[in-house]
Parts: sequence; structure tokens; C-alpha cells
Amino acid sequence: MKDKNGTISRRTFGRRGAGAVIAAPMIVASSVLGRAKSQAVGQAAGSAAPAAQPLGRPGTVAPSDRIILGGIGLRSRGLGNLKSTLPDPRVKFVAIADIRQSAREAVKSVVDQHYGNGDCVMYQDAGQLLAREDIEGVHIATSDRWHACMAVWAAQSGKDIYCEKPAAVSIAESFALAENVRRYGVIYQAGCQRRNVPNFELAVGLARRGILGKLHTVHADDWGRTETALGHSWWPEEKPEPDPQVLNWDGWLGPCPWRPYHSAYPDRGRGQFWDFHAGILEWASHTADLCQWAADCDHTHAIRYEPKPGTSHVYCAYANGVKLVLRGDGWLDLGTCRVRFEGSEGWIETGDTGKMEMSDNLRKYWQPVNMRGTDPVLHIQDWLDCIRSRMQPRANAESTCNAHVTSHCAYIACQLGRKVTWDPARRAFPGDEEANRMRSRAYREPWRLDALATSM
Amino acid sequence: MQSTTTQKPAGAVAAGTTPQAQSPRPANPNPPIPPEFEAGPIMKLDESGALALLKNPQSTYFQKAIACKRLAVIGRKASIEPLAALLGDPQLAHYGRFGLEPNPDAAAGKALRAALPGLKGRLLVGVIHTLGVRKDLKAVEALGKLMYDADPEVAQAASASLGSIGGPQAARMLQEGLTRTSVPVLPVVARAALLCAETLPDRKQSRELYEQLTGNGMPRVVRQAAFRVLNNAARA
Repeated sequence: MKDKNGTISRRTFGRRGAGAVIAAPMIVASSVLGRAKSQAVGQAAGSAAPAAQPLGRPGTVAPSDRIILGGIGLRSRGLGNLKSTLPDPRVKFVAIADIRQSAREAVKSVVDQHYGNGDCVMYQDAGQLLAREDIEGVHIATSDRWHACMAVWAAQSGKDIYCEKPAAVSIAESFALAENVRRYGVIYQAGCQRRNVPNFELAVGLARRGILGKLHTVHADDWGRTETALGHSWWPEEKPEPDPQVLNWDGWLGPCPWRPYHSAYPDRGRGQFWDFHAGILEWASHTADLCQWAADCDHTHAIRYEPKPGTSHVYCAYANGVKLVLRGDGWLDLGTCRVRFEGSEGWIETGDTGKMEMSDNLRKYWQPVNMRGTDPVLHIQDWLDCIRSRMQPRANAESTCNAHVTSHCAYIACQLGRKVTWDPARRAFPGDEEANRMRSRAYREPWRLDALATSM
Repeated sequence: MQSTTTQKPAGAVAAGTTPQAQSPRPANPNPPIPPEFEAGPIMKLDESGALALLKNPQSTYFQKAIACKRLAVIGRKASIEPLAALLGDPQLAHYGRFGLEPNPDAAAGKALRAALPGLKGRLLVGVIHTLGVRKDLKAVEALGKLMYDADPEVAQAASASLGSIGGPQAARMLQEGLTRTSVPVLPVVARAALLCAETLPDRKQSRELYEQLTGNGMPRVVRQAAFRVLNNAARA
């Protein structure tokens, strides 16, 4: 249903499904958007994408049929994800774990208010939450340094996982994540929600179906984050450390190298320092991911990377001949997290506003979409659908791992300030010891990644 | 399909519409970095410069920590001994491992193995983990013994590293561990065995391990995973 302005509301979109929104003359159904290629974990090829299925609110769900969920580290973004999840009648959210007291209490307040009771259980230690046999799935929205470690831990506990991006802060973590999700047979959805936002789906669909002609270049917005702002530096030590019940500093650091406490780290230092972050992946985990999907490269990584000195640009190439350009400038005014796909017969560019620009010959495919790229609601529904069906969601661990590996390789090229070459089969930079050493980061004890991928 | 008529070249954008203008970049509210915590100059040092900083008794904790990070990327044989000397330092042990773990020189593995008998608790746990990440086959014998250490964190770490290292010898040790350990070590042994089973070239040994993991005493999640592998193999 369109509103009075002729646009499609998010609410209506959710009810009718993506296929309905991008109807005639749109010929790009969700089922052609490349799910089969990304089904490395066993989904039947050709199956309809979850977002193309009627979202089917059955009205009532027996309590025994509800998906029991918990949350780990839900603050701003995580709280948004939670609020997009709670209204789904298939879900019962029962517990929150956070090393920060204020965050635990904020989530409990939201959940208890939603259910009209006081039942949401709070934990400081995520291990206690993961040990609960009744919890089937977890939302993870800790800071980046914890994402992969926590997701692997959750997989080993048999939980289905919705985890915010970037999913991993190193190449080794990326492989470990995919490996453990496969090994334990859990459903993993990375918070790369643009895979379930219609303007991005449309752009990818046009590229994958050959409507752009022979695809030759895909562009990903990297927000200019080819370097981490403050790198390896520290802020001055602040004493005393907070009461561990209020904020557990050791728990906040997790597997990262120890550094003295400063109150700015928990609130402002997440994306500023290399220890806690993955630089270019702040947006590349979304945009390079979409580019890999568009380029039919969900199953692999780019093989050549060349940073352009003095700019945020990294020029990459896939074995199939498609070029990937990571860049933070030169974009049209379409909002954040922009992507652009260019083929022999046309081009399309889109971003978080939902707006699209395209070559004239493609304008018949254009439809207004009133859903921002940051909206996770359909992506979370995709995850919940897949928890029930045991199919693979759009941003599954395999495709996420591969997009992250490409992005990390680009980041390593930027850090080294030179070209690097990557061998996807060997998971290595051939003959490049310096780059190979940057594939992983040693975890602080007692944390570990149980994975064969660790030494690659 | 018509040819494109209005294609804007990548990089073309109207003045005033730079991403900087559109993106939600907050004003920088960060505290300043004091000069003594500025890592940039250290991260540009060559190996000898980073080692000099690491060995200098006057260097601060920060300087040593960042020197270790630098040596993780550029350190060669000369860096191994100074980094290994930190493995028993409660404050800098992790930074020492940070420098040693990615160093491909066999001497790094030798130094890590040599450190095992002199360490306890979490410092020992850290070195065990690093040996696992390095897939150090020469550490298997020692890790097999540490799987029965009185400290459960050490026993868990040794089990997990055996799984990461993999291979027939580690598999045999883990199989035995499945019968000789109990909670809280057993679940880690089981997960390690599940990991290790994927590394075995001998299908018979691999199948035996998976079948052992489907036993009643095994953690539910590991049992399910082992059943899944066996069921898929039966279908194939």
C-alpha cells in the first residue's frame, strides 16, 4: 500500500514482502538475488529468500512455540535491534548480559515494559546467559572487539545469532566465525541489514541479473576510514577504575590488549583505536558486502588490492574480472553507505536515504522506497524466519566472512601503504610475510578462538 | 538494452555534496592524546629501534607495549628472545605473545614451549593458546600432559589448543581426555575433539572420534554437531 505521497511505507513493505514492493515493471524478485550462490552451509539452491515470503504474522503463537532470545551488549544500536524484535509474536526475550550496569538495566526496563512483567533476567557475565539451555538465540551488539569472539562462543553454546557488524576485527576471526557457525549448525545473521532493504536489493538484483550488462566495476563507500583515527595511541590513565559491577573494565577490554582505563573509551573510544575496531570495516562491512553480492562473489574474496596514496581509495580486483573500488568521496547525494554498480549497459547508485540514481535506460525499474538503509526490521525478520526454517539468512556467516576478508585485505593494504595480493584458496598473501602477520591479532588471556583457521 | 546516456563517472560529484558534508560525523569530543601515549613514532620504528625501546629499562609500559605490537609485524629472529622474556611478566605477557604469535620463525615456537614449565595460571593459559594458534606440533606432547593440570583453566586451554593443532596424535590424546576428564574441562575437550576430527586424514579415526562424541556423556551441542557430520557422511 502506498501512502498519500505514493511512497511505500516500511510498515506496508514489511507486511507485503520485498517482492511486492519492487513489483512491475520490476523484474528482480528476491529469489533471484543470489541466495543460491551464498548457500555454502547447505540451503537448497533456488529457494525463495525469506524477505520474499509473506512475513505472515499468524496472530497468535503458542508460548511453547516462541523463539526464546537473550541479548548481549545491547546499547544504542543493540537496543534498536531489540525494539525491532520485541513486537514479533514469535519471540520471547528473557535475558540480557552486559558488563555495564546501566545498559543491563536499560534493556530490562524496555523488555519488562513490553511484556508487562519483571521477568527479564540480568547478567554481568555473558557465559551465564549462554549456559541457559532455554535460550535459543542471541542478539549480540557489543563493541566490535567482542563480536567474533562472542559469536563463536554463542555458536559453541548452540545459539542462533544475530550479531552487529563488523563481524570480525581480523581475517583469522572472520574465518573462525564462519567455521564455528558451520560446525555447530547454528543460524547466523550479521547486522548487514542493507541486504534486506529494498533499494539495495534492487541495485544488487539489477547487477546480478545482467540488466546492467556485463558488470565491470562495483564501488563501496568506505567513509574514508582507511586508517583508524587514533591507531595504537592511548588516552591518559584515569583513576580509579570504575566499580566492576558498574562497568567491568577487564570485561570491556575482553580479548584486546590491556590498556589503562579512561572513561572516554567505553563511550567514545570504540571506533577510534585499532585495538577495538577494524577501521575500514565500519562501513565496508556493509558496502563491500553488497558489492560482493552484486558481483557474484559472495563465495570468495578479491585477489588484488592497491591503495591510492593520499586518498581513501583502494582499488581491488576479483578473479572474475570485476573491479571493486573502496572510496570515501565522489559519491552522489544519496545518504550514507553508498554503493554503485557499473556495467556495459548501465549503472546504478544508491544509499541509505532509499534514493537511487541510475542510467536513463534503467529508470523504468525505479520505485520510491520509504525505508532507510539503517532500518533492521526486515533483516531481523529474515533471521527469525531462518531460525524456524533452518535455511540460511541473507547475511549468513559464509558471505559475511568473505566480505570481511576482502575488506580486511584492503585495510591491510592501506596500513602497509602498498599493493598486496591475496590467495583465497591458501588464505594468505603469497610471499608477503609482513601482510600475512597482519591476518590475526593475539587474544589476551584467558580468551581464545577455538578454530582451525587461527593459524591459516 | 540501450546504451547508457547519462552515466556519471565515478568520482564525479557536485561541489558541496562531499560525503563529509552528508555523513553523520560528530564533532571530535575526544580527550587529547598526550605525547607520552602517542604511538605513531613507535609504529614507524625498524626492528632494531623497537628492540632498543623494549630492552631499555627506562622505557615506559606504554613504549614497551607498542614496541611489541610493532615487532608483531616486523620482528625477526632477534626479536624472539626479548619478547619471550616478557612471558612471565603479569603486565606485559600478552604484549610479548602479541609479538611472538605471528612470527613464523621456528625459534618463536621453541621459546614458547620453553616457557611452559615456568609459568602458572593465566600466563600459562596465554602461552598455551598461542601454541594452539601457531599449530605447533612439537607442543602436542606437553599439552597432552597439561590437559590434566589441576588448574581447570590450564587444562581447558591445553585441550582447546590440541584441537586447534589437530592431527592424529592430538586426536588420540583428546579421545583419552574424553574418558578421563569431567566438568568443567570435559566440555572443552569435547569441543576440541570435534575440531580435531576435521583435521584427520584417516577417515576411520575421524569416524571413531565423531562416534565417541555422540555418546551420552557428551555436551548436547557437541553431540548434535557430531551426529550431523555422521548423518551427512551416511547420505553421501
